[in-house]
Amino acid sequence: MSAVASPDRESDFDSRVEQLVERAIARNIPGLALPQGQADLDVGPSAKELVYSAETARLYHYEPLLDDVYRVPVLLVMSPVARGYILDLARGQSLVEYLLLQGHDVYMLDWAPPRREQAGLGLADYVMDLVGGCVQSVQKDSGEQDVTLVGYCMGGMLSSMFTALRPDSGVKNLACFTTPVNGDGMELYKKWMSSSAFDIDRLIDTLGNIPGDFINTSIQALRPLQRSANHMRLLNNVQDDAFVKAHLRFDRWAVDQLPIPGHLARDMARDFILENRLMDGSLRLRDEQVDLGTIKVPFLHVAALYDHIVPAAASADLIRLVGSKDKEEIVMKGGHVSLVAGGNAIFRLWPQLDRWLASRAV
Amino acid sequence: MSEDQKLDPVRLWREWFVKSEKSWSDALTEMMGDEHFTNGMGRYMQEAFHTHRMFSEGMAQYLANLNIPSRADILDMSDRLAHVEDTLNQIQVELREQRAQLTKLASSGATVADTPRKRPTRSRKPAPTNDS
Repeated sequence: MSAVASPDRESDFDSRVEQLVERAIARNIPGLALPQGQADLDVGPSAKELVYSAETARLYHYEPLLDDVYRVPVLLVMSPVARGYILDLARGQSLVEYLLLQGHDVYMLDWAPPRREQAGLGLADYVMDLVGGCVQSVQKDSGEQDVTLVGYCMGGMLSSMFTALRPDSGVKNLACFTTPVNGDGMELYKKWMSSSAFDIDRLIDTLGNIPGDFINTSIQALRPLQRSANHMRLLNNVQDDAFVKAHLRFDRWAVDQLPIPGHLARDMARDFILENRLMDGSLRLRDEQVDLGTIKVPFLHVAALYDHIVPAAASADLIRLVGSKDKEEIVMKGGHVSLVAGGNAIFRLWPQLDRWLASRAV
Repeated sequence: MSEDQKLDPVRLWREWFVKSEKSWSDALTEMMGDEHFTNGMGRYMQEAFHTHRMFSEGMAQYLANLNIPSRADILDMSDRLAHVEDTLNQIQVELREQRAQLTKLASSGATVADTPRKRPTRSRKPAPTNDS
């Protein structure tokens, strides 16, 4: 037995060590560069102005990119639990930018975190006052009576309810993405809230406004290991600068959930999840019945095939309940978020939305 | 992918995890939907809220004695800051409306020092499709 390793084995070992060191350095260099290039990760690049502000509602108008736009402005209605910058994530990955470049006049109803004194804002306040106030502001600012509402997730619920309650408000078209309407379809939440040990009133009395962390945890619970899998995917692609930046933007948004007023949480838990009032038309807001069958404007619903947050069982009934003659449902590949903001959205959802809007925005 | 990366066991493990994550997550959510789990979670939440309230009340007195602000004091400050921000937003909106009115005056021939904001025309039509 030789006490000294052969030269060939030594050089193999040396080259292997050299490769491992080079790979470790290559992995760390993008990380070192990141703090310096942190500005590249800033989200919401499209220029905008604040047009209207009331309670938790913030209405923004995006600066048009063309000299001639479609007559009917588009009002994007965000979900009250999510930040609006997901629709304006980065240059080249922004639904807002895409619509502006296609010649649409774009507004966005984004939400601010509620103060403690705003814990009493409920579903009726959100639908009738805040969405309604924003629609009026868009009409005043644009000079046009007709407005197209485009709602994302719970924003779609608010938009649908408003359109049903106020058919003469000027809403000309209504589009919804991944919008739940059937509380029975939100199975896990229904099971939790149906438990005798779950006391929504005590939850709200203790917390007041429901914190963003609480909402984030309840959303993560629908697919508990997804975030870990995303981190694994990141580690496997850490040399790819573009991949890392895209991941960090999405990850930032995913944990940046907004708190919501306690009363709104109670209304959603009781009226939507537990008693499923939207499905049978028994939902009443300030003593007015919310019947989606009274919606007669052109309607589009886009659902995501792999949506685990709003599964098909929760959203499939929407197209049936809406009373419009001109209505269309499209089911596309993608998840709840990647449908609207993923890398493939520019090939899938966005052109379909533009096609649908363009003929109805003149 | 280099040869080394293909043979990297940690990388292979990560790839396996990513591919099988959905089925693991489904199994976990099914477990979380179980009646025993939901009841247990509900009871845990009630206890946590009760403990939270007791601890907050106890700490508030202790911190007051030490002349240190409590969480409630900091939340009060946060609310006041948010109120100031909301007021600034209102001012911003009103300034914008004033500027729009000045723009209208400018277009009607009145003299205005401010440069009016250019608005696009609203006559765009969609491109003709093959169907039409």
